[in-house]
Amino acid sequence: MPIIETTHLYHRFSDGTQGLEDVSLTFNEGEFTVIAGANGSGKTTLLRHFNGLLLPESGLVTVCGQSVKKNPSAARQQVGMVFQDADSQIFGETVYDDAAFGPENLLLDRHQIDRRVTQALADVNLSGYEDKSPHQLSGGEKRRLAIAGVLAMAPRVLLMDEPFSNLDYPAACMVLTQILNFHKNGHTIIITTHDLEKVIAHAQRLVVLENGRVVKDGIPEQVVGGIERYGVRPPCSIQLGKGIRPWVN
Amino acid sequence: MGELTTIGFKPGRSPLHRLDPRTKQILLIGLSLTSLRGNITFLSISSLLTIYLFTKAKLRIWRLICETRYFLFFLLFIFIVRTVTFTGQWLPAIVSADMIGEALIVCWRLLIVVFMGLLLMSTTRIADIRAALIWLMKPLPLVNEKAAATMVGLVVRFLPLILYQAGEIGDAMRARGIEKRKNPLTRLVKFTIALFRRIFLRADELVEAMQARCYNENRIVADLAFSKRDSYAAVIGILLCLSVLLE
Repeated sequence: MPIIETTHLYHRFSDGTQGLEDVSLTFNEGEFTVIAGANGSGKTTLLRHFNGLLLPESGLVTVCGQSVKKNPSAARQQVGMVFQDADSQIFGETVYDDAAFGPENLLLDRHQIDRRVTQALADVNLSGYEDKSPHQLSGGEKRRLAIAGVLAMAPRVLLMDEPFSNLDYPAACMVLTQILNFHKNGHTIIITTHDLEKVIAHAQRLVVLENGRVVKDGIPEQVVGGIERYGVRPPCSIQLGKGIRPWVN
Repeated sequence: MGELTTIGFKPGRSPLHRLDPRTKQILLIGLSLTSLRGNITFLSISSLLTIYLFTKAKLRIWRLICETRYFLFFLLFIFIVRTVTFTGQWLPAIVSADMIGEALIVCWRLLIVVFMGLLLMSTTRIADIRAALIWLMKPLPLVNEKAAATMVGLVVRFLPLILYQAGEIGDAMRARGIEKRKNPLTRLVKFTIALFRRIFLRADELVEAMQARCYNENRIVADLAFSKRDSYAAVIGILLCLSVLLE
């Protein structure tokens, strides 16, 4: 069942640059998709259309059958977005306050807010950090807090913009393990990255963007061949002729 | 970011942490206004009380003094302006000891007000400050108390981040030899442009992040409750204010 659909989506920035050009994609519920492409290929721009942070110049974006342009607030409730720079997403004064920001905006009662925040922090292994200042957290913990802030809103889709950037190996492993758990629990996952190494083995679909256009779309095994042509480095295991290998077990 | 400026909320269980934020805000307003007329006795008692509360809240006073160094320079400027006079000679003349005493008291009053504000910021969550402001501004006509409280909350929240950014930009400029530029105006312009650019970018990112999480003005506010502790604090505050007003 389609959960997000874009039809002939075009986006032009205020300086005249064409950000997206005729993008038509359908994402099904429960799917794990990776959107890859070089810097400036339009990955982040596309993600921002999914939860109404950007609106199309022409074309249509729908979430659960509803136009995002007509009701961006409903789209944001269904589609949670984790930004590339966790620091720009975290604005609570304590870990608890930050995770509670979304549920407070949804006007839930205090009891429900507490329950959701506790669950979201537990989901990302941040229980016990409630009173800590977010700025005292490590890079990996901040990324997990950013994810918890989104999870507390109980979205059906998780969008993640370069979720592994600036993370060391253990932190990247932890974030990846949690993403896989969310997928197992039924969330639709859409990740943008130019570094396929960590996620490709777990994704069901790989979409490649170049200059704002979709140039490849399909199951990773079929799409990954020759992907370097689009400015994306193929995983080491592919280069060594060992096929796609998982990064975490 | 771990070395983020010390100005900002620090979790704790001190008496001030446990006071209702409405009481703290009313006391801050009352004591600040009274300080502007306060004599040495009032200022001494307020200073001792402030130091006691800082200690109980486990806040490092010397660190805060370092953080507020630019304000201390401003106080020094005020002191100089009030104590030095130009009489048409090349060298400025220093006025009488009484004027020096008065200038010191003016600086002391301003310092007390700032440190009481820092105490409020350090012991009160922004969500509570916002909830208290909404409660306090509700009776005011023509004021959208929720929007106003959110704006104040964001300023208080992001003040430490702005100071942190300023420190980072200053370090980056020093690393590339800004000290070699002798003209202070050039240094100030280069620093200010970089800082403002960063602040505006940050503000844009903040707006997007808030929108992405369904921000709306009528969001749930924190639960507040007065207790006996608030009555004791109010009595102490009122007595302090009366000691000046009935003088």
